[in-house]
Amino acid sequence: MKKATLCAALMLLGSLALQAVPTDVTYAEGEATIKSKAGKQQEASIGDVMNTGDTVRTGTAGLVELDQKGITLKLSPNTVLTLMERERGGGASPVLSVALGSLKLRFDKLTGKEPMIRTNGATGGVRGTELSVFSGADGSTLFVVDSGEVRVEAGGESVDLAAEEAVEVRLGQAPGGKFTVHRDQVDYAKWNEDKRAAMLADPAAAMTGIEIAMASYIKDVEQYDALFKEYSAKLADERAARVKITEAKGKGEGERYENEVVFPLMNQTSALGLNLRYSTLAALSLRRYVGGRLYLFLKAKYIARPDEAEWTGFLSRFNALLSDFEKSIAPHLVEADI
Amino acid sequence: MERPGIRIGALAAVIAAIVSLASCASLQRSQDEGDAKRIANLINAGNAQSLAGMSASPFLVDQEIVVLPADVSGFWQNAIAAGFRVDGAALERAAPVTAASYTEFAGTMEVKSFFAQYLKDGARILELSTGAGRRVLLLTRNAWFTLKIHGFKGPF
Repeated sequence: MKKATLCAALMLLGSLALQAVPTDVTYAEGEATIKSKAGKQQEASIGDVMNTGDTVRTGTAGLVELDQKGITLKLSPNTVLTLMERERGGGASPVLSVALGSLKLRFDKLTGKEPMIRTNGATGGVRGTELSVFSGADGSTLFVVDSGEVRVEAGGESVDLAAEEAVEVRLGQAPGGKFTVHRDQVDYAKWNEDKRAAMLADPAAAMTGIEIAMASYIKDVEQYDALFKEYSAKLADERAARVKITEAKGKGEGERYENEVVFPLMNQTSALGLNLRYSTLAALSLRRYVGGRLYLFLKAKYIARPDEAEWTGFLSRFNALLSDFEKSIAPHLVEADI
Repeated sequence: MERPGIRIGALAAVIAAIVSLASCASLQRSQDEGDAKRIANLINAGNAQSLAGMSASPFLVDQEIVVLPADVSGFWQNAIAAGFRVDGAALERAAPVTAASYTEFAGTMEVKSFFAQYLKDGARILELSTGAGRRVLLLTRNAWFTLKIHGFKGPF
């Protein structure tokens, strides 16, 4: 049933005014792979073209540079970037999803259609020309603006950053206080290592952040799913009504009904489908790149001492999280997402 | 009327087929034992680097799909550093991966998709018992004399 809903959502997306922009690989060094929306994995090479739904991952010594028609994106090692879309202003709007690692962005010019940036715990609306986004091991995010402005949103609050300002957002929390930082002053590797160490020192606190963020994504998915089904049913009814009107009042009246009633409803339904998909993939990103990695770190730490209270306590909460994910998120995923 | 020579020939062919199948099974068993022993020896020798080198990407640890090779490498390093060993490991069971095999790792949509997408023909599930009375599962594939580890579960 849910798979049918997902298929319907994906089919309807075509009706939105898509603003997806092909993204060219202009530089690739070391280990770097691209996983397509269809699930096919290949080594990243100069000249490759990425599209919405594709993910690029860099390895320990991997570097990738992308060009998205006027936006230069530089990925550092051990970074995962997915090109996504969500509904904004009635149309599909591009989103750069940094699940892990660091991304530096430079905009040649601002057009008002800049992509939104998301991490596992925050979103950024770009009004700047040069900025860096760091997505840490514990799900924390660091936005650093070199020039221009960026609005960072998380936990229902926002903060505006100007040039040479930065803000850190902890997973499941609102943005912290902004602070001054000079260009290229941030040592991402050290920041990320500090985050990893803090997460391992207090896995219970890290788990709380993951649970809060996952609950928020699950709530979004359930709301969008319910609305999508409601609008899909309305759309089916209105399409049937349009057929009857055409039969009773002629082709012209049918077309008028199509333009005034059916088409707007189709756009609304498409937007809901797009947001359902966006929230589903955001939950998968959180589950894999924050929750899954925390599990992996702790699994290795306690592999020879599986009865330790810290491990068993974590396991109990993690299994509950997996159960929620399997029940609420997994039915909206397709095999190629994995 | 059938000639005795034909009957003897048919019998010989059946026996040859049985011997051939038996030797195939025997060869497979021998390869599984060799693969299990090789991986167990690397774990017991604390050779995280070789284990990481043999690990495929993506890699499965219990129910977790690990997509970054650096994380797989870190997992082996940290597990070895934490004292993980499989002393006295013995191969208890070896089987080809089938459509239902994913449930041995976790009965989730993600693990099912991992098995469907990333495990090619010839992948095997090896179950090892350890001297400590626990068991581990290994997902392996040995092709053209190259052994790859695709997943690990345990100890349980």
